[in-house]
Order: sequence, then structure tokens, then C-alpha cells
Amino acid sequence: MAENRKYLPLASTRRLEKLMTRYYFLTRYHRFWGKPLRRPLAWVTSGAPVELLRAFRIHPVYPENYGAICGTRRVSAQLCQVAEAAGYSQDLCSYARSHIGSILRPELAPMGGLPKPDLLVACNNICGTVLKWYEALARIFRVPLLVLDTPFLPGELTESAKSYVLEQLKHMADFLAHFTGRRLDRRELERHMALSKETVNLWKEIRGFCRAKPSPLNAPDLFIHMAPIVVLRGTPQAVHYYRLLRNEVNSRVQQGQGAVPGEKIRLVWDNIAIWYRIFGFFQMFSERGACFVTDTYSGGWVMELTEGDPLESLAATYTEIFLNRSPEFRARQMIELIKDYNADGFVMHSNRSCKPYSLVQEVIRRRVMQETGVPGLVVEADMADQRVFAEEPVRNRVQAFLETLSDI
Amino acid sequence: MLNKYYLGIDIGSLTTKVVLVDDTGAVAARAADRSGYSGRRVAERLVEEILKEKGLDKKDISATVATGYGRVTFPADREISEITCQARGIAHLFPAARTVIDIGGQDSKVIKLLPGGKVADFAMNDKCAAGTGRFLEVMAGALEVRVEDLDDLAAQSGESCPISSICTVFAESEVISHIAAGRQKADIVAGVCASVAARVASLASRTGLEPEVVFTGGVARNKGVVNALAEHLRCRLLVPEEPEVTAALGAALLAGNIKV
Repeated sequence: MAENRKYLPLASTRRLEKLMTRYYFLTRYHRFWGKPLRRPLAWVTSGAPVELLRAFRIHPVYPENYGAICGTRRVSAQLCQVAEAAGYSQDLCSYARSHIGSILRPELAPMGGLPKPDLLVACNNICGTVLKWYEALARIFRVPLLVLDTPFLPGELTESAKSYVLEQLKHMADFLAHFTGRRLDRRELERHMALSKETVNLWKEIRGFCRAKPSPLNAPDLFIHMAPIVVLRGTPQAVHYYRLLRNEVNSRVQQGQGAVPGEKIRLVWDNIAIWYRIFGFFQMFSERGACFVTDTYSGGWVMELTEGDPLESLAATYTEIFLNRSPEFRARQMIELIKDYNADGFVMHSNRSCKPYSLVQEVIRRRVMQETGVPGLVVEADMADQRVFAEEPVRNRVQAFLETLSDI
Repeated sequence: MLNKYYLGIDIGSLTTKVVLVDDTGAVAARAADRSGYSGRRVAERLVEEILKEKGLDKKDISATVATGYGRVTFPADREISEITCQARGIAHLFPAARTVIDIGGQDSKVIKLLPGGKVADFAMNDKCAAGTGRFLEVMAGALEVRVEDLDDLAAQSGESCPISSICTVFAESEVISHIAAGRQKADIVAGVCASVAARVASLASRTGLEPEVVFTGGVARNKGVVNALAEHLRCRLLVPEEPEVTAALGAALLAGNIKV
């Protein structure tokens, strides 16, 4: 980690590091075990139906998680420049640019870049950028690209939208059977879905502990400890890890321990973390007694898998991802978080990279302020490209915002 | 009994302002100068000057609050953001004010006030100097006129030239091409003022405008911008007598904990 935290550390972090190191170690040396075990490697988007891939024994690797690693290690700007020099626009998502940069110049990239994929799986429930990003990857590596098109939901999920996605999942399953030489084992799919469900429930429980005053976790904890639910969702390792974390967070609550000493202000975070300043940024808040007790970003992985037919359940779950939904839905979600977690205000990261997340924030901000009466701040930055972060203007806005929440 | 004095120091990106108030909140002295390389040194010199002028000593100052971009560099008792200071200063001068539009050297901001001068909401310009004092300076430079003369020129305009409000650098090239096309200086200046107004008006739409609206910061001295902004927002704008020192005044009031 490039920065040190300045508040109560979690003992589970060591186990997390071990778990993630093991995952990236296995990924890095996939070439030695993938072929003999007939387990292809797929690069997938964060909102891809990974349970289906796991049922076919595919090893999923997440370029977005890798982008976050590049951001945390502060090598994104350099990798982005490599991609920009190759013609990719500076306005393109910094995960996409970091990842493409890591392919073009692996010697500059963490872990020497990700191992080459046998397959690409993109789902546009999180954004439209992934389609073009993965098309570029398909051209570079000349491997099959599977696209799952989830229609945007202006209201609730309709039957037609659900069956449209279900049809695609069936086609995807047929293709994967052909590609891997395995039949779709429904029991295996149900097993991975049950593991996903358990992971999601544990994550939900852990997040729920933060309703306590003081909150046992601060946003950077959530951002760091969400890694397994992204890359290991649907595995026993993820379940095992989150049980451990649940116990530690629960005991913090029992002992009345807060993540931020002398918690005075409770806030809600919106948008992806600022990875290259993951501790420094939040320190501007924690040093004034402000704790981010919950967020919309890591909460995005609290996606409950419904009962019933597994493919139908996947179709519904992955179409109903919050980024695929209306500003009204997102405003309502924010309002509920503020009430539920007894928050005094909220901070929205206007993330230059992530257009679907950021574009509607001003509309949401106004509605949430109107309905809850708590103030909201917008901070301009980027999740991975540190060139976008202007320290002084950000500090100035944060200070002014916290002054409005204190008595001066 | 001796009077107590409180000092407010606003080290801005372009100008440093110093205000001294007594314990009733009345302004005893004020001074301003370009921030230059070291705003802190400019502030220290200005403080010395006003103390000398008033026949006071450093120990007559009970408390000091620093604000503005250079606030952390100055050894004050407290540093407070200029948003909070600006709000306090304006509430003191205009108790009925509910919105402040402030255009300084590199920042433009809109602050929504609660009665008593507490901040309800605010919006600031993004990482871009379009719509700020620096923008006007660059344009005045391109037109070879003094910034102070911009408002007289704008008043003479018949038909203003459209200027993009997206980027200072590109806007400067636009001004140069208008010059090359032989357009009247006055019309270009009017276009520049309208461009600043448009930029700030879009900022104001984020917080909403509630009267009374007070316009502060060095740019509020420019009648061309004041008129363009009033026209754009379709509302009356109140301008303090010395619009650039209001944040420093608020800082001094906060130093003395002098309530509105």
C-alpha cells in the first residue's frame, strides 16, 4: 500500500492480503495449471454473471480490480499515458486506459500485467465503456468476446427485459459448453450461486454493523475489504473470509470501538474510491472526527440472488444492478442510507472516469438534500488517474463542508 | 477600558486582504495588496501597516483568523475556509442576504445562506479559471486595456461578441480572432463580461438563487460583469462598498466570535 492509515486497523487485513496474494499468484501462473486442468482464463467485467463462468470451471480475472490496484500503487497516470500515446482518449475511463497501458507496456505494470485471456466476458450493466474496451481487447488477443446486454431500467425490471437477458444467458451457457468441452452442471451452478448468496449476506451483515455509533468501519475499510466479493464471489474462500471479518467487526461493535476516534460526524460516500489517495483523502475527514459509515459503491455488491431457476435469478440480479437504474432509484437509495445510518451529510465523488455513476449526481444531490435536509458535497476527482486530483481545491471544499456541519 | 481588536486575513490567489474590527464588529482598518510570491509576507506587512496607522500594538489583537488559499501559511489562531468567512461577512453587512456570488482571482462560488450567516449549501467552479478574475485579466491583457477600464468599455458596446465560456486559453484565442476580424474593443469586452456571467449563472443553478443576492470578490467592482450577471440571472445584485474584503471581514468577526 502506498499510504498508511491513520485510524484503527483491522486484524483481518492480514488475512485479506494473504487471500488476494494467493488469488493473484494463481492467476499469474495460470499458464502452468489452466491447460492441464482444462480451466480457461477469462477477463470479465465487475458486473458479469461470474457464477455461470465458475460452473464451467473458468478462472475469472477482473481488469477493473486490476485498475484499482494500479491506482493504489500510483502507476495509473503512467499507464494511462501509454494508452493515450497509442491513441486512446484522455476522456476514456482510467481503468480501461490503465489496463490497455499495462498490455502495451507490461514492464511498467504491477505484476507485469495480467496473464493473457482465453475468453472475454463483458456485461454493460455497469457502463457502456466496457463494450468498446473489451472489443479492443478482443482485437488485440483474438479471443472470443461474450457480451451480456442488460437493458437500462427506467423503472422496475419488466418481464420482457428479464426474458431478453435470460435468452442471452442460455446462449452464453451453450457457447461455454462448446468452448470448455463441459456440460452445464446445474448442481454446480446452484452451488456457486449459494456461495455467492452467502458471501453477499455476510457483506450485507458487515455493512449493517456500521449503523452503530460509533461506526466500526470507515469507507476505506469498505473499499479495501470489498476485494474478495468482487474477484472471489461464488467461492468458499470468500465465504470463509467474510465470516472472519464479520466476527471482528461484530466484536468492535460489542466493545463500542469506532473506526474514527471521537466520531462526531457521520457521512455517506457516493461513487468509486479515489484509489491513489485512499487514506490521505479520508484523513481530511477523520482528523475532524468525520467517519464515512456507508457508501453506494461497495454496497453495489449487496445484490441479492433471488430464489427459483438459477439462470432466471442471474438474469434478474445482474440487470437490477444500481448503476443500471434510474436517477430516482439512486436518489431513493441514498435517502434510505442517510436515514438508516443516521448520517449528517453525504459526499459525492464526481469521478471523471465513470460517466454513468457521475453524470446524474447533481440531480440526485438536490433531491436528497431536499428530502433529508442534510448537506451534500461534490468533489471532483478520478478513481485511478491522479493527474485529475487537485489537492488544494479539494481540501478547501472539504474543509468548508465540514465547517457547515460543525459549530463555528 | 481598552478596546479589543480582532484580525481577519484573507490570502487569496491574486490579492491579500486584511481587516481589523473592534469588539462591536465595526471595521477599524483594512488594507489589500497583490499576493505575489509570498502572500504570508504581504499579509504580515499589511498588518504592520494598519497597526501603525491605528497606533496599535500586536498585543492589542485578541485573536486572528486566516482564510483564503494561503490560510495555512499564516500563523493565525485559527484557519477557516473562505466559504464560512464569506458567509459571516455578508450576513454582517446584509442580514437579509440568502445568496452570495463571489468571483475572486481563481475561484468563483455561490453560497446559499441561512439566517444568521450559516452556510446551507455552496458550489464552486471546477479546476478551471474561466469565469474568474484571472480570466478577466487575461482578456484585458489580450485587448491591451487595464482591468479597471473594462466596465467603461463594456458600457459603450452596441452589440457584444460571443465568447466561449469553456476555457481561458481558448477564449483568449477567440478574443484575438475577434480583434483580427476588426470588431470593436467595446463589443469584445461586453462579450467577455457576458461569458463570465454565463459561467457563474450555471454554477448558481446548482444551489438555486434566493434573494437577496450579494455579489462579492474583486470582480464585483466590474460593472460590466455586474450588469451582465444581473441580466442573466434576472435579479437584483447587491454589491458591498468594498467587495473584495468581505471574506477577511468575516474572518475578523469569526476571530472575535461576533455574532450577527
